[in-house]
Formats: sequence, C-alpha cells, structure tokens
Amino acid sequence: MGDFNITVNGKTVPAVKGQTVLQAALAAGIDIPVFCWHPQLVPVGACRICLVEIEKFPKLQVACATPAADGMVVMTESPKVVKARQGVLEFILAHHPLDCPTCDKGGECDLQDVTFKYGLDYSRLQEPKHRNIVDENSTFDDLQIGPEIIRNQNRCIHCYRCTRIVDEACFEDDLGAYQRGYHTEILPPPHREIRNLYSGNVVEYCPVGALTNDDWRYKVRVWLTKQAKSVCTHCPDGCNLTHWTFHNKIFRATSRPNENIDRGFICDIGRYGYQQVASSDRLKQPMIKKNGELIEATWEEALNLIKTQVSELKSKLSGNAFFGLIGETSTNEEIYSFQRFLRRVIGTSHIDSRINRKRRLTFGEEVTSRAIAPDHVSYQDIDKADTFVVYASDLHSENPITALRIKRGVRYRDAKIIIINSRSTHLGVRTGATNLLHKPGTGLAVLTGIVDAAVSSTTFDKSAVGLSDQQISEFKQAHTELLLPKAAAMSGVGESDLRAVADSLVRSSNVVIFCGADFSRYPYRDEELLALDNLRRICKSAKLAVLPESSNSVGAELLGAYPNQYPGGKGSDAKSKFEDLWRGPLPDFSGKDMIGILEAINEDEIECGFIFNADPVRVFPDGNYADAVLEKLKLLVVVDSFMTETARLADVILPLSTFAETEGTRTNWEGRIQYTQSAIKPMFDSKPGCEILELLADRLGVSFGQGRPSEVYGELNKSLGDVLPVRYEMFKSEGAIYDRPKHQPKPGFNRVAYNAIPSDREYPNFLTVGNADHHRGPNTERNPSLLKFTGDPFVGLSEIDAKELMISDGDLVKVESRTGKVVGNARVIAELPGKVVFLPENFRELRPNLLMGLKEKFDHVKVTKM
Amino acid sequence: MQKHVLFENINDPKLHNIDRAIELGAYKAWEKVLKSIKREELVQMVKDSGLRGRGGAGFPTGLKWSFVPVASPKPKYLCCNADESEPGTCKDRVLMECDPHSVIEGVMIAAFAIDCHTSFFYVRGEYDLSMRRIEKAIDEAYKKGYLGKNILGTGYDLEMILHRGGGAYICGEETALLSSLEGEKGLSRIKPPFPAVSGLYACPTVVNNVETLANLPRIVINGGQWYASMGTEKSKGTRIFSVSGHVKKPGNYELELGTPLRTLIYDYAGGILDDKKLKCVIPGGSSVPVLMPDQLDTPLDFESVQAAGSMLGSGAVIVMNEDTCMVWVAEILAHFYMHESCGKCTPCRQGTGWLYEIIHRIEHGQGRAQDLDTLLDLAKNIEGNTICALGDAAATPVISTIKQFRNEYEYHIEHKKCLVKSDFRLR
Amino acid sequence: MILSNDTKSKIGEYAKKYPKVKSAILPALHYAYEEQGYLDDSMYEEIAQVLGVKFIEVAEAASFYTMFPKQKRGKYYIQVCRNISCALLGSHHLTQYLLQKLGTKLGETTKDHLFTVVEVECLGSCCSAPMMQVNDKYYENLTLAKVDQLIDEWRAAK
Repeated sequence: MGDFNITVNGKTVPAVKGQTVLQAALAAGIDIPVFCWHPQLVPVGACRICLVEIEKFPKLQVACATPAADGMVVMTESPKVVKARQGVLEFILAHHPLDCPTCDKGGECDLQDVTFKYGLDYSRLQEPKHRNIVDENSTFDDLQIGPEIIRNQNRCIHCYRCTRIVDEACFEDDLGAYQRGYHTEILPPPHREIRNLYSGNVVEYCPVGALTNDDWRYKVRVWLTKQAKSVCTHCPDGCNLTHWTFHNKIFRATSRPNENIDRGFICDIGRYGYQQVASSDRLKQPMIKKNGELIEATWEEALNLIKTQVSELKSKLSGNAFFGLIGETSTNEEIYSFQRFLRRVIGTSHIDSRINRKRRLTFGEEVTSRAIAPDHVSYQDIDKADTFVVYASDLHSENPITALRIKRGVRYRDAKIIIINSRSTHLGVRTGATNLLHKPGTGLAVLTGIVDAAVSSTTFDKSAVGLSDQQISEFKQAHTELLLPKAAAMSGVGESDLRAVADSLVRSSNVVIFCGADFSRYPYRDEELLALDNLRRICKSAKLAVLPESSNSVGAELLGAYPNQYPGGKGSDAKSKFEDLWRGPLPDFSGKDMIGILEAINEDEIECGFIFNADPVRVFPDGNYADAVLEKLKLLVVVDSFMTETARLADVILPLSTFAETEGTRTNWEGRIQYTQSAIKPMFDSKPGCEILELLADRLGVSFGQGRPSEVYGELNKSLGDVLPVRYEMFKSEGAIYDRPKHQPKPGFNRVAYNAIPSDREYPNFLTVGNADHHRGPNTERNPSLLKFTGDPFVGLSEIDAKELMISDGDLVKVESRTGKVVGNARVIAELPGKVVFLPENFRELRPNLLMGLKEKFDHVKVTKM
Repeated sequence: MQKHVLFENINDPKLHNIDRAIELGAYKAWEKVLKSIKREELVQMVKDSGLRGRGGAGFPTGLKWSFVPVASPKPKYLCCNADESEPGTCKDRVLMECDPHSVIEGVMIAAFAIDCHTSFFYVRGEYDLSMRRIEKAIDEAYKKGYLGKNILGTGYDLEMILHRGGGAYICGEETALLSSLEGEKGLSRIKPPFPAVSGLYACPTVVNNVETLANLPRIVINGGQWYASMGTEKSKGTRIFSVSGHVKKPGNYELELGTPLRTLIYDYAGGILDDKKLKCVIPGGSSVPVLMPDQLDTPLDFESVQAAGSMLGSGAVIVMNEDTCMVWVAEILAHFYMHESCGKCTPCRQGTGWLYEIIHRIEHGQGRAQDLDTLLDLAKNIEGNTICALGDAAATPVISTIKQFRNEYEYHIEHKKCLVKSDFRLR
Repeated sequence: MILSNDTKSKIGEYAKKYPKVKSAILPALHYAYEEQGYLDDSMYEEIAQVLGVKFIEVAEAASFYTMFPKQKRGKYYIQVCRNISCALLGSHHLTQYLLQKLGTKLGETTKDHLFTVVEVECLGSCCSAPMMQVNDKYYENLTLAKVDQLIDEWRAAK
C-alpha cells in the first residue's frame, strides 16, 4: 500500500512519498517510455521521452523527475503527450544513422522499441545527417575508446546514461561528455581509455548502439538467443547474471539486477568471465595415463580403471590412504556429493577445500573465525554503516561489487573508509579513504595500536561500550610490545594517524569491518582475527565480516568440505546420523587438512586421491612441493574442466562441465544461497559434477540415486533442515540467506600474541600476491576480453627498489626465494611501498607459489635484473 | 518618462570608486538594513515595492525570497546573476562598470533578506571591465568593513565571491548558473527541486539579476511605497531599456515602466537611423516576439507588452528598419540558439540546430514549400518541452517572424533570394 | 609543466574562497587562459592537480565554455560580434573587411602570428554596435577608419 493515491490514465495507483510519477506508474504496471532514466541514477530529465500530462500543470512534465503528489491526475498517452513524444522521437531520429541492420543493439534497442510504438514513418529532415567522422573510409564511425568498448557517436542520443553510470554508480572517471549542444561527444578523458573494472555496464545500459563491445559485436542477433539465469562464480559477491546463448554457445553475459546484491551493475570479470567456458584447454573427454602420457579414453574405460585401481588399493589399505580436495567454486550440491562420496564410498575423512593456505589449519578454523566474528553481515549492513574498515584486502579486485556498495555509502552518505594494508589499493585511492599503509606483516601492531589509542584517550567513554578499567589495564599489560609508540614504530604508521583512526572509530555509530583474501593467507591470521575483534570492542556498534575467497567458499564450509566437520557444521556426534542417512559406515570423524594430506602422501601414508575442480599445484603456497608430492601418488583422479597443472599429474581425468553447463546453488559471502541455471548443455563429452560423482559412487558399489542437483539438494534439505530451511525451488527466484549459528562474544579484550618478523639479508624483499587489473584468481586468464586489459604477467616493483636495482618498466627480472625462482618483466608500480614485490596470481606463466616455502612464515625474495 | 533611479549618478566618472560612491550615498541602505531593519521587514518592504526580476521573467523579487526555508540548518546562498547575454541587452554591464557599489550593496541586502552569509557574484566571462570593477568594488567594500565578519559591529557576517563565467549564454539561466558555479558544465537542471529549496551545493539559493539588485538600496532608503509609486499598477518602478539597431541614438535609457515604446524610440533614441521606415521592433531581447509599427504605442510594462503579443523580457529593444530581411534576422538568431544550447535535453539540442539549418537553407535560396510548416511544427515541438527556457527562446523568433513576415519567407522560397536584401555596411 | 608556479598558487588561493573546491575550476581556467592565451589538455591536468579535482572534470568543463580558445592563437584575438544588433549595423561587413585586410580566413591565424579573427555571439555591447573584442578589450562603435587605425597600431606594435 502506498502513502497516497494518484490517478494514471483513469486508474488509481498507489504512490509512496518520495516516489516519482514514473516509479509509481511502473510499479502499477503502466509503461512510460524512458531513455535517460535508470533506477540507480539521479533523474536528469534530459531525453524528454517520458513527458506526461498532469492536470493543473500548464506544460507537460517529465514523469521521471516529477514527484508524485496526493491526488495528482496523470495522463501518459493523451493526444498532447503522444504529439510531444513523436516530436522528441523525430528530433532524436533526425540525425540518427538508422543503420539498424548492422547495429548490434538491433532487437533490444530502446530507440527501436519506442519508435515502433510512437514513431512516424517519415522524417522531415531535408539536410544531410550530421556525421561524426572518425574514419572517412568507413560507413561506421567506430572509435575504440577502451580495450573492449567501441563508440559510435552518430548513434548516440545523448541520454548521458553512460557518463552517469561511470560517475554515479561506478564512481570512476574515465568517461565524459565534452563540448556542448549537438556537438556533445562521449569520450574518455583526453589521451586515456575507458578501462575501469565496471566499464562494460555502459554498453549494457546504452539505450542504443552507440556503445558496443568487441565481445558481442557482430556475433549473433539477439532475438535468436536464449537466456539463462546465472550467478557469477568469479568471486563471492554473488552477482546475478544472464547468459545469452545460441546453438549451445554462450555469446555474452549481462547483469540480472538483484536489488539485494548488485542492483544491476556487474564488473567486467563477471561480464566477460563466461568466455573461459570455451577455453582451448577445456578437457573434452576422459583421459587415462599410459606410459606417462595422458591418452583420450571413453567414460567406460576411465570409470572401469578407477574401479579396478580403487578396489585394488582398498583391498590392501584402509580409507585413510585416500584423500579428496574440492575447489570452492563448485556448487553446494557438488560439494555435498563429493564429501559424501569420500566419507561414505571411499571411507576417508581427509577432505579439504582450503588448498592455498600456508598455515597449518586449526580445527574447524572457519567456524572458529565465525565464532569470533559472529555477526551476520549482509549488503544491507553496508547501506547502514557510517564507517568501514577494510583490513588486508584489495577489495576492489577481490569483491568488486561489495566495493561498489561501500563507495556508494561514501558518495551518498558521507561514510568514511579506513584501509589497513601493506600495499595501496584502488579502493583507497578512489574514495579519499584514510590509508594506514604499514610494513608487511605488522597489521597486528596497527590494530592493537588503534585500540590502545582509543582506550588511552581522555575522552574515551568506556562505559558506553561496556568496558571496565580492569579490562583496559589487562589489555595494556597483555600487549606491552604492541602499544602505541612501539606499534607506530614497528608498523611505520604515524602515531597521530593511529590516534585519528581510533578517534574516528569511537565516534562512529555504525562500523562494518571487512577482512579479505590477503588476511586468510596471513601467517598471523588467528591473532589478527582476535585483534580485529578487539577493534570492534571500542566501537559503539561494529560488525566484523571475514570475506571468503571464492564464489562458494561459504558453501564449502557449510557442506562438509573440511576434514573435521560434517555437513551443516556438525561435529563427531552427528556421525551416526549421517551413517543412517547414507546407509553405511563412516570412517573416523577426524581427518587431515591440506597440509596434513601432502605430508601423508610424502610419507607414503596416502596413496590415492580425488581432486575435484581444484588446482593445488597452481595455488598451494609451495608449488614445487605440491607438484613433487602429488607426483608420488599411485592413483590420482582429477575431475576438472581444464587441463590444469594438477590435471597433468593425473592418472585418470574426468572432464567436468563448467558453471555454465551445470545447474546448482552457490552461497555468497553474505550466506545467500542462489540458484544457477545451466545455460548450455554439457560441452564435448563433459558431465556435470553431481552426475560424475553419482557415476563414481555407483561404479564403486554405493548408489545414491542422486545424479541431479535437485535430488542432491532434496537430501541436503532433508538432513540439514535446521541449517537450510529452504526448498530448492525457492532459490530459483531470488535466493535466500541461511541463518548461521550465532555466538556470544566473551567480554573484554582478547589476548594477542605476536612475534616480530625476522629480516632476511639475503632475500630482502617481501613477496605480496594479488590480482592484476581485470583479473581475479587463477582462472581469469582463460577469458580473452580480460586479457585485453592486462595480458602480460609482470613482476611489480616499487619505485624505490626499481631505482636501486636500476630496473625500468619492461626489463626482464629474476625473482628468487629459498625455494624457487621465476622470471618475468618488471613493472614499476608507484603505489607500492619499498621492499615489497608484487606478483599477480593470475598467470600460469608466472606462478608466485613457486617462490613460496611452506616452512617460511613470510615469503622473502630477491630481485635481480637479467 | 525618463526617471533616474538607477542612473541617478551614472554619469559621474568616479562613481566606481568607493569613496565617491559613499559621498553619493552608497552603503547607507546596507547600514540601515543591518542596524534597524528586521529580515521580515525587509522582505515585506520589497514585496510592497512591487519590484519584479529584471533578468527577463519578471518574477516578484520579495516573493522569490520568501520561498527560501530560512529556518533550514543548511547554509543559504545568494547569487547575483551578472551573466548578461541576451542579444540586444547591455544594461547590467553599464551598472557594473559605472556603479558597481550599488550593485554589490544590492547583493548584500538580498543576502540579508534570506539570511545568507556567503554570496556569489557570477559575472559574464567576456565582461572584462565589469569584472574588474566589481572585483575592485568588493575589495573596497571588504576594506571598509561592509563585507566580511561582524559587519559594522552588528554581528552579521557576509562573504562575497566573484565568479567569472566562461562564455555560455545558458549560464544566465539560473539552474545552469548554479551548475557552472559548482564547477560543472553549465547545464540547466530540472525543477523541482527549485533553487530556493535546493540550489547551489544542494542548499537553498536565490539568484537575482544585477538590475534587480541595484534597485534594492534605493528601495531601502526611500521605502517600498516610494518605489511602488512609479510605473503602472502591476509593473512598478523603472527599467533600463537597451535600445540598439537602427536608431539614431542607441543607448541605455532608464524609463518609468509604462512609457510607450514610441516615446523610447523616437524621443529618447532619436528615431530611425537615416530616417528610414521602421520595420519592426523586438522589445525585450532576442527571445521575444517582434512588435510591428502599428504597436508602437504599446506601453512598456510587463502586462501591456504581453497583451501586445510579446514580452518585456530583458528590456532590450532592437529596432529594425525597412532594409532588414527578416529571414536573415531569424537565421542570425537561430544560429545563436544553436550555438548556445547546452545539449542536455533532446528538443533543444536537436531542434535548435534543425531550425537553423532550415532557415539557413531558405535564406540561401534552397527553401522548399513545406519548410514553413515544418519550421512552425518543429518550433512547437520544442516550445514547452525542454528543461529550461532556452528552447522556448529559440522557438519564439521563428514563430514570430513567420507569423509577421510570412511573405518574406515565401518570397525567399519562391525566388531563391531576399525580398529586401540586408546589406548593412560599416560606415 | 606549462603553468607557472605563480599562476598555480593564484589558483590554489582562489579555490580557498569557495565552500567546495570544484567550484574553482572555472576561475582556474581563467588564470590559465590569462597566462597562456589558450587552453589545452596538459593545463587541465595541472589544474586538476592543483585543485585536487578529477582531470575529467576540468577537461569536460573547459570543453563546454567557448570563450577560451583551445589552441594557440594570434597575439590579437579579434572576436567580432555577429549577433543581431551588430549585424544590423554591418558586423558581417566588418568581418569580411578584417579578413580581407589581414589576408586570412575565419578562425585561422595570420602567418606573422599577430591576428586570429573569429566571429562570436552577442557580447553585450549592443548600444555601441558594431563592436569587437580583442583579447580582453572591447572596441565599440566601429567604423572603417577606426578599424584601419587599430590594425595599423597593432602591426606597428607587433
């Protein structure tokens, strides 16, 4: 129900205070044409196509910007309105090239559609059409204005959606409108390109074909395509996508606006990240290793070989000689099926999904972190916060849409951002954030220093946050090495900066703390989590969110992809319950984690493994070690979509369908479970994960009869009704957040232990790993469009180090550590602090994990010019 | 009747110096306002005076101020619109060059009326001398303590910031002026929100024209009733008319509102140049319809000029003699609006160029029979459908010249040349 | 580096007057124009830096405002008003006369880099038409004799 009613075309329509006439009409299903309006942008009333007649107004009014008022009488199709719309259309079309047959937007062009409805069949224009000439020899005035984006100014109808999207929704500044009047031209700033991480949105929301991208251009006519609902798998933000397909091939991805998450704006990684489905290293059919070489085989041959070998090994060894690793981009149904297969069919509890951690994982680590960070944080919390702390995360590249939401708060609500990191990040640069740039590995000192600054301040109101004098003095006694002057000296962050941040946090009424990917891999992760929890204690109201790494990391945690945890986070006491459910005995509850598994293989305790949609050789933080150890296995079965570094070591490879060919659900960082349709049928001879796992189980003698995700989810829903009280079908509409168990934090401060980082004279630099522009994780280099933004792997060096080593951009350099070396071209990065070497983890050619030593807490490297 | 209110001392060559200006009475009104007039009284006084905006629209000044939510916690801003650019208009320039202190005193008074403590003076970019005179005047006013903190010990603070335009007619439109002041391109904005509620930096803002503001010190000194005693029933006071074109004595004449157009042209401006025949007059800047010789007795006040089918607009009276080709005139004006359209909304951006191109074609002997209907219909499609008044301004001369001089257009189309060739030469 | 430190500090100083620094873009363009006689991209970059605003904001704004030439022009930048009041008194003739006398074309600069002639819209000098603005200065009530005399003076002054 609305606050009041208005009348539109004689129909009573409810309206809410603050709504425009257009919003009220649209909500009531009354269509008013628009070009310049977009729900996420401030209305500008520029295109004038939404003119409507309103009683008592002498002139026609734009519906998009006129506030609805009680009793307003609106006519959207009166003769006066239609005449005006025809006039506006005639103006727009006058110089529009009408090259619709060769225009990519044809068939989904707002201008076509509105003209279809209101347009005249002739133009009174006698003059030659204006042409913005880029190339005299071409009919098309194409101008490449960014790695992916092409501008055709002649088609532009000057709605300014593109420039407003870049500014108002993406908070970037690489597209503008220049000159004035009908000369107004859309361009990046002089001598620059449009290449921001969200640049594809301008193409999606261009109402005509003035902005197109190479990705989709001239490939297929839109009306021939089918659409599938999908959810992006490149990060845990969980943006909703539509995949556009024709003849079992995907041609593009666009946003599928979800108010709760993306609000219609996606990043380029999500937009172009479907291209990897057709990557040339796709595994097309099963393969079997013969005489050291992988030979193509049939499913029958492969499955039989697995059956024979597993049976043989099982007859000699217990289930403890087996292990399983699964990647965290797999669906919930795949993860559940996988762990069930290992626990029930193979009889092992050595299961893990966290394959890129260097630290020995403590029991139920992720669960512990959620116990410390019990808050259920969601996108809605971002909209309420007045201060954000972003710790150890390059949020812009790791969670681009979460970063957008934060930036929205900065722009429209004057929220503040405090970034604590050892390297400067895009988010910090763009938002005027307070950047606490600290020496590598000293985050603990920064966090504890801030807490000390807060509690030591004379104005600190401890009772307001429920702290006692005793708790404060205990805190000070426990952290003598990390208190203010020392914390500042150790971290290299100014004492006054720490005090200013403390002050800012104490004043804030609603803080959200995010920690990201860097954090999960930090050697002091546990301590840092405790220190972040302390930080929360000085705030009036603060929520702490540990952002997971992958699109379904939360699902992996929830559904038993860990060694010491049954699905639903259940402990050993649930063993009999699952034995009943799966109708058979289960092995000992406790199993080995990733590091334990590798050690056990090395000591010949484990001889056989299943690796599903994961590439440990590529990402385990000692690549050489992982490679050598996995090589030792008697039987390695790899289920994957691509010929990964790990797949090369396999004895049997089973080709897995990708996310685009597999239906299922994934759980984003909020805990929102969302359903993905399969856009196309499995390519080549690949099969979806649940089907493969059912085939394997069946072949090994335990059939579950659950080869389809909906069947798997049915069981899951039945067994975990307390955790997942939602039916499968419900996810198909808008997704649902599952309720995590809530934990009560203990009073007072946590005690944080800390050891200073040893310096290394021989290897003086710190290795930092992250994402190159337009890349995220190890898979994005399979997408040609993304390679256009950053194609070449590089070794990032600070200006100081480059100068000292006499290295300039493009020079070939060698990076060495105690365990390995890589060679690559140098790139000098102005924002990088001295002594830090940055390697993107996105390129096979330059794998940072080759430099990592499992034994080293920090990765020390040295760089030499070749 | 010529009546010198604004032009009282305009011929004094030293008037732009503050000392001379003070000798002649400057800042007395400001002092009076600060020391003995309440804000509400001031607003009422100006309402009583009947003063209406002199920029073009003629909106009652006191009423405009009263829309400002004075109780709002946001800062309030007053902007002086000195972006005079309506073709034919050069009255504000004279005030700024010769009597800058009256103008900025007006800004101070208006600022007080809306409880504003930061005011802006948006002066047209090309007006170099005006800019320098105003700059100097503001400087002097600060030094004498009429601006700044705790003015004249009254506790009232007022800053005045000079802001120079960059060459854009559209910035005379109040919302575009605010965009420009914010450092943006001078694009007009949709209303609502109106500037009085959400203007500069999204704060309550009033934009007043130079001539409007210059009247304020006189009204404060002599009272609202005094001002209301001049002019007609609804058009009070005096106005500066800029008479240009084919007259013997072009210039700015301050007359009581209601003075007949004939008096202005023949008595003050000396009649038609070279004693030719009068063809028509544009009475209020290039954006208003023409008046014909038989309308010369129209009194120059808002209502009478409107009744005659035109508008008083900016008070720029452009006189054209019998040698003037009206298609040529329309072409010049259409070119102007095309050049000045900001490009934000469709009808204006596309329409102004289209109008120009058709008229240009007709003027150059390429006209077609259906062009006139097209022109009129295009103009109608622009009129009323744009964000700001520039669209209407562009449509009006086209509609008006076709209405009054259709025969000239038709002659052009038929004979591919002018009925009367405008070949005005430098002397 | 194109803009002098003096100009930059003037820009920085002027910006302090405004409640929001972005407002100072237009004054900054004026300072740059005053010093250089034209504007271009590299100056926008420097202005953006001085003000701490985005490069694109300066570039967009500069492209909108037409009184700043966007490339180098002659020492005498002759802007002839082409609008109605001046046109009625011979401004089109004035333009033609100037172009012929200087041997140049509209918008182009004479070989001696002395003169650039352009036509502009109404400059608010309607009661003293015809007129032209040369650099900052208005020349009004122009006659052939007056134009001849001015050109002679400027040529002599170089």
